[in-house]
Amino acid sequence: MNYTVQVMGESVGKDGRKIIKVTKENFLDLMKDLRNHGFDHLSLVTGVDRKDFMEVVYHLHSMNTNEYVVVKVETRDYKIPSVTGIWKSADWDEREQYDMLGIIFEGHPNLKRLFLPESWVGHPLRKNYDMKKTQYINMDEEGNDYATFDERGGW
Amino acid sequence: MSSSEWVELNFGPQHPSMHGVLRLKAKLDGEIVKEIEPVIGYLHRNAEKICEMTYFNDNLIYFDRMDYVGAMNMEVGYLEAAEKLLDISISERVKWIRVIMAELSRIAAHLVWAGAYGLDLGMLTPFFHCFIEREKLLTIFTEVSGSRQEVNYMCVGGVYQDITEKAISEIEDFVREFPKRLKDIFNMFMKNDIFLSRTKGIGILDKETAISYGVTGPMLRASGVEYDVRKAEPYLVYNQVNFDIPVSYKGDNLARVLVRFEEMRQSLKIVEQAVKKIPEGPYFNPKAKKSLMIRMRGEGDVYARTESSKGEFGVYIVGDGGVKPYRVRVRSPTLKNLSVLPELAKDVMIADMIAISGTLDLVFGEIDR
Repeated sequence: MNYTVQVMGESVGKDGRKIIKVTKENFLDLMKDLRNHGFDHLSLVTGVDRKDFMEVVYHLHSMNTNEYVVVKVETRDYKIPSVTGIWKSADWDEREQYDMLGIIFEGHPNLKRLFLPESWVGHPLRKNYDMKKTQYINMDEEGNDYATFDERGGW
Repeated sequence: MSSSEWVELNFGPQHPSMHGVLRLKAKLDGEIVKEIEPVIGYLHRNAEKICEMTYFNDNLIYFDRMDYVGAMNMEVGYLEAAEKLLDISISERVKWIRVIMAELSRIAAHLVWAGAYGLDLGMLTPFFHCFIEREKLLTIFTEVSGSRQEVNYMCVGGVYQDITEKAISEIEDFVREFPKRLKDIFNMFMKNDIFLSRTKGIGILDKETAISYGVTGPMLRASGVEYDVRKAEPYLVYNQVNFDIPVSYKGDNLARVLVRFEEMRQSLKIVEQAVKKIPEGPYFNPKAKKSLMIRMRGEGDVYARTESSKGEFGVYIVGDGGVKPYRVRVRSPTLKNLSVLPELAKDVMIADMIAISGTLDLVFGEIDR
């Protein structure tokens, strides 16, 4: 398979899947290439907090040819272009990763938290998240949840 | 009516037909749903974070509690990834035991769905019949593991205890009796005019939308895509058993119902073959002895996909060479299936919205994790 962009390297993972590493600049073009090549099923978007940088892993699968490929991209400023324009299934996946890890997906149409209330402080799956601080949840008049540090402000 | 005059309606999170804690913000024009926004996270426990703090084998109990109606499918999914990461092999006997248990769990999960979907549409009778059959399965689970629902039967390297002769004979009894009972339940649905008129031609999901939204499992197969991880990427011993993938091309509610019923028959077919083929052998890999379990280390990253009762269940584990996983990520099939609901429930009646969301087979332990 030929790509129109330069990739950093190709390897085979422990589970036998092909891994492509790419820089952030070439990332979106590579994903468009892969979509045109027939990878129509975006199985999973994962962010991995590597402490000094964030690794985002995309698992792609083709329904027709049954091929499988993994794309890995690294970001130091926690920003990455969104792929919602290519696969709609990326929408909620990226919202979840934003919620849990604080990765900003640039160009996402509706980048809100998926599970936690909008006013929650911090991103729980970050390695430096302080789990000793308790946050309490309550509901406002509109029926939306909000989080507070005040013990009496919770349910 | 212009969009400024639409009425906002709040469904849930506590509502009898929401199958758990789903909240839907709907905008209505009269009785027609114009826009719908699912709000989730009411059962969020962050299992992914808990998994980072626990040993590889101990994580299993959190996976049991994801899809709590078919718990052993989740165990199979996690172990597929964990055993690859930890380089631990399993014997042929264990593979067959896991196939039997995964398929029985699939039937148990589909029975809950069938009963609850009947309730959604106002049929009370099938619910009891489904749960009578499910009770027989739970008895089998109790016989093999000592527990009914959240069984925690499997472990890294095998299963906790060997499957007994009594359990095998109970499974054989179930395989013999269930087809007739399933036919009865099936007829309760299909000979009901109200049921047919509420499902036929409603909530049509086309092939392209389904693939683009990452919909998998029975929902995708009801839209005409012949995709099943058991065939596409066979794990355990699924390449040694004979079964078909039910596909429908209609994509409506009725198609999803029919596909799930046919899946139960196919699962039964797999169990029937597996019980005959199960070989003798150890039920546990001594390399993963209980006293050594907390010392197992894994490095690298592994993604394993399995077919749970809801769709493609994926587990991605990253290890850094320590005794605990560095990162665990779960692909929840129901989350992706739910994300297509705003498309499906556009310009339909409110009552149809309930009929559509029932066919998604929502289990909130798995969506919110």
